[in-house]
Amino acid sequence: MISPVKKNLSLNLRVWRQPSADIPGEFRNYQLSDISPDMSFLEMLDILNEQLVESGEEPVAFDHDCREGICGTCGVVINGQAHGPDNETTTCQLHMRRFADGDTIVIEPWRARAFPVLRDLVVDRSAFDRIVQSGGYVSVRTGQAPDGNAILVPSQDQEEAMDAAACIGCGACVAACKNASAMLFTSAKVSHFANLPQGHPERKKRVLAMISQHDEEGFGACTNTYECEAACPAAISVTHIARLNREYMKAMLTSKE
Amino acid sequence: MSTATERHTLDARIPDGPIDQKWTRCRDEMKLVAPNNKRKFDIIVVGTGLAGASAAASLAELGYNVKAFCYQDSARRAHSIAAQGGINAAKNYPNDGDSVHRLFYDTVKGGDFRAREANVYRLAEVANNIIDQCVAQGVPFAREYGGTLANRTFGGAQVSRTFYCRGQTGQQLLLGAYSALMRQVSAGKVQMFSRHEMLDLVVVDGKARGIVCRNMVNGEIETHAAHAVLLCTGGYGNVFYLSTNAKGCNVTAAWRCHKRGAYFANPAFTQIHPTCIPVKGDYQSKLTLMSESLRNDGRVWVPKDVNDKRPPSDIQEDARDYYLERRYPAFGNMVPRDVASRAAKERCDAGFGVGETQLAVYLDFKRAIEEQGRDVIEAKYGNLFHMYKKITDEDPYQVPMRIYPAVHYTMGGLWVDYHLESTVPGLFVLGEANFSDHGANRLGASALMQGLADGYFVAPYTVGHHLANGGLKEVTTAHPKFKETAVEARNRIERMLSVNGKRSVDDIHRQLGNIMWEHCGMSRSAQGLSTAIEQIRDLRAEFWQNVRVLGNGDSLNQALEHAGRLADFLEFGELFARDALQREESCGGHFREEHQTEDNEARRDDENFAFVGAWEHKGDDQQAVLHKEQLTFEEVKLTTRSYK
Amino acid sequence: MTALSSSIGRKFVMGLTGLFLCFFLVIHLAGNLLLYVGPEAYDHYAHTLHEQKGFLLFAEVFLFTAFIIHILLAVRLSRDNFAARKVSYAKTSSKKGGRLAASVIAPEVWMFWSGAIVLGFLICHLGDFKFEWWWGNEFASSGSEYHKASIILRDPRVLVVYCIGSVILGVHVSHGLASAFQSLGVNHPKYTPVIHWCSIAFGWIVAIGFASFPIAWALTESAATH
Ligand SMILES: Cc1cc2nc3c(=O)[nH]c(=O)nc-3n(C[C@H](O)[C@H](O)[C@H](O)COP(=O)(O)OP(=O)(O)OC[C@H]3O[C@@H](n4cnc5c(N)ncnc54)[C@H](O)[C@@H]3O)c2cc1C
Ligand code: FES
Repeated sequence: MISPVKKNLSLNLRVWRQPSADIPGEFRNYQLSDISPDMSFLEMLDILNEQLVESGEEPVAFDHDCREGICGTCGVVINGQAHGPDNETTTCQLHMRRFADGDTIVIEPWRARAFPVLRDLVVDRSAFDRIVQSGGYVSVRTGQAPDGNAILVPSQDQEEAMDAAACIGCGACVAACKNASAMLFTSAKVSHFANLPQGHPERKKRVLAMISQHDEEGFGACTNTYECEAACPAAISVTHIARLNREYMKAMLTSKE
Repeated sequence: MSTATERHTLDARIPDGPIDQKWTRCRDEMKLVAPNNKRKFDIIVVGTGLAGASAAASLAELGYNVKAFCYQDSARRAHSIAAQGGINAAKNYPNDGDSVHRLFYDTVKGGDFRAREANVYRLAEVANNIIDQCVAQGVPFAREYGGTLANRTFGGAQVSRTFYCRGQTGQQLLLGAYSALMRQVSAGKVQMFSRHEMLDLVVVDGKARGIVCRNMVNGEIETHAAHAVLLCTGGYGNVFYLSTNAKGCNVTAAWRCHKRGAYFANPAFTQIHPTCIPVKGDYQSKLTLMSESLRNDGRVWVPKDVNDKRPPSDIQEDARDYYLERRYPAFGNMVPRDVASRAAKERCDAGFGVGETQLAVYLDFKRAIEEQGRDVIEAKYGNLFHMYKKITDEDPYQVPMRIYPAVHYTMGGLWVDYHLESTVPGLFVLGEANFSDHGANRLGASALMQGLADGYFVAPYTVGHHLANGGLKEVTTAHPKFKETAVEARNRIERMLSVNGKRSVDDIHRQLGNIMWEHCGMSRSAQGLSTAIEQIRDLRAEFWQNVRVLGNGDSLNQALEHAGRLADFLEFGELFARDALQREESCGGHFREEHQTEDNEARRDDENFAFVGAWEHKGDDQQAVLHKEQLTFEEVKLTTRSYK
Repeated sequence: MTALSSSIGRKFVMGLTGLFLCFFLVIHLAGNLLLYVGPEAYDHYAHTLHEQKGFLLFAEVFLFTAFIIHILLAVRLSRDNFAARKVSYAKTSSKKGGRLAASVIAPEVWMFWSGAIVLGFLICHLGDFKFEWWWGNEFASSGSEYHKASIILRDPRVLVVYCIGSVILGVHVSHGLASAFQSLGVNHPKYTPVIHWCSIAFGWIVAIGFASFPIAWALTESAATH
């Protein structure tokens, strides 16, 4: 099937520009024309940057790496939506055919106290690493492992663990949450390990430490509005947050520490 | 520029004895560092992919002080995350007759007999431990209903030995290694430096003693000293501009080490994957892989008539040329990657290509859907079909996919011996960044295996041996070599910023990609390669006269980062072409037009080319010198690969 | 107390108190429905209740404490959550499916404010029935609780305030009830959809149930005058 010739787009962009973390930012308007609907959103930004360089303005900084939706590096808020209008889609996998000729597109960085802007659309998400450092692992040293089949995992538990482990750590949940809460991210890790026997020995310690770190980083609390789930490119469900709540209360009530 | 090395011969330090005892013997003979002395040693690990994260975590667990670096904002984002298919190990859980020896043999054969036997055997040996380790970490490998681990089949093997986590195996393995790494960060044994790009290696008295890197947030040039440096910086496929690699993948770290004395082995060995989504337009920034597994059910074809430009649904069966099935009746659509890629190129070059650009062939699921039902196909490949539709806006359930080969993996890399040590003592190279285990072609699901084998189970021993050997005097970043190397790095940045020419970095990189693809891609000739060398030189000159990098070096400046990587690709590209020119044979992913049979199949030359080509840098104005490590095959017999 | 030291702990207590308050709403509404049965039934219920002095005191203190905790935590959570995003977006737009769920009037978006309105309504309501602030000694003559309710419910100002209050209360609990389950860790593919719809139904019942009294009295009033 030869697809009908698609019209190229002209767009108005309103892009957040901020030279560095400590200098306040502002929106700037740019015009783009002749954007192919088959371009990805980031390729559209590439074109913008070529245009800016030509005119002597510094290009817009935005994070990206794999450009295939798995590394979790990319992510901007597009017209008020984290990763743009499509569900289960990262910014790099969003394509310009989703937009119409003449559209105005507002592009902002993730906004959260715990994710300070470093430059333009680039934010610092190291808080996520620190949450994992506080307990998002199984304490097993290299060489200590028993045979893989010595630990049986019912395939359903495994599937559930995998659902949670699929998190790409992009931060869209925080960006989309009205409270800038990182509960979906944290719950995905807790739930991943809670579903597997390997995770059980450190279960209580893990959840208490991770939540305490989550709060310390300055993320908000979950108020069950579920915007996170809708924005998540990896389709992580809020059932993991319920599981986290359960794990947490169990740990708090029974922990001897 | 100093290129101090002590060893000039290529001694691979392969232990004596039967192949299945070499590794045990080697470990038994290695020197050890006493437990309470380990904390006196500092180790730098550059890269946090499977190789880097696993090595950094394992070394820190042993008690060494580790500094880990990556250019992404988090260690978890290394490009290993993108691997889809799976990881091999000879567990023989399916009871289908797999063994360490079989895995070893398949890998050597798959590599078209250009890999070092001893290394590959060790890889096959430790692969089982990898699976155990990952399971213990909580990697959610697919399971059977009874709770045991599941396997699937992959290309190049007759047994089922691939472990997988849906279509996200690399992600899950990396998150496992990353979590082990984060655990050591919280234990205070690893200091993590993300958003740091290594720009140079510091060699003191002929030994690798530290690195120079740039803090990508504030632009500061930092120096770090250590007793050993581990380079785990991945592959250099982006020398082609378009590849399945992440945008940031680069050769910089490896290239800088090369210029400091590390030999670069087989740079021309590149894997071009046959099933990727074709290029759409000049704006294209990256290519997306469609897993090899699709060829299990998809049939590859082009129209029989060059002028047939009808939509695929209008082209009847008898007007279609299922060229893989025609040429390779025994293997059909499941021929290895290099063969399938070349066959697609051949058809397109002859004018049979389809789609707007005519650089694509069809991968058709119509028959599979008719025979097995849409549900079955959806269960197998649903996520890939979904991804395809998202990118192309076409529904592969209705119309055949259009695919074309794309650069995917680089078998070449820094030369290392059995200890994974390069020709610069104290510089170890792990993962895709080294050259060691895949010869001229890599089999599916074995890169993940190699990265983790190197990091979890090889480097922790061999690095210890290096440290225990003594002779490492105390060196700090106050040493003049550090200052000197840092100044050189800073000057290079200043120079790039001061050119202020007309062309953007992307633009020049794209041109380099075109040259590479045209002359150093799927099919190479002496004439093309010589042209490429000329063109790359010219482009390099143009870069330094006409590139435009705005902004300054003291802040987050992505164009500057990219420019630095491109500058190194422009130097490296030439060596790549030179290596391809030198190798007057066709093997694995390296196809020389001059060396083919009457029916266009690769012709290997074991007599003259059964060696690893390792290049030594002799200075910017001189040609690199080729050293040969002769490959000897004692366990496997050299045979011609045939898939007819 | 340690429960209150973390965001999840606070949400947990929030959910617990919320559930208890929902339970109270059910009892309260059931009692009120006796107004439709007639003066005897309602007065009997009221007197029986008032005779249990000890129980009543206990229940009131308990209820009051639950309210206070619920409110204080709401303030604390909202303050923290507000602080978690210092710079707000120039544009926001929901990605959830469904028009209501994705709109700015979706209950979950303004729980704090609906809660604040409910608090205002509660104060008015206590001012009417418990403390009789605005009614001088209008009820003094009769000992009948039914009579007292009739006087209050007839008032047009009460009609407006109670209708708005009840609807907002319904909105608040329609999210609050389901949300409490989630906060307490109850989420299951089988039961959660049921809880979700029950919660919305509960919101409607509360809104219609409580608003029906002033409406019914206003209707009978206007019927009587015509
Ligand atoms: C799309 C895709 C699918 C694949 N699927 C499979 C599969 O199914 N099975 C399989 O076995 N293999 C697969 N591979 C290959 C495999 O994923 C890689 O070869 C392997 O993961 C490489 O791991 P690594 O640790 O060597 O490097 P990487 O994971 O690439 O890590 C490189 C690290 O080095 C850092 N780095 C690089 N340069 C610098 C610098 N200058 N300064 C500082 N840090 C630097 C990066 O930040 C990163 O942390 C696939 C590859 C691709 C692209
Ligand atoms: S760039 Fe990797 S997920 Fe978008």
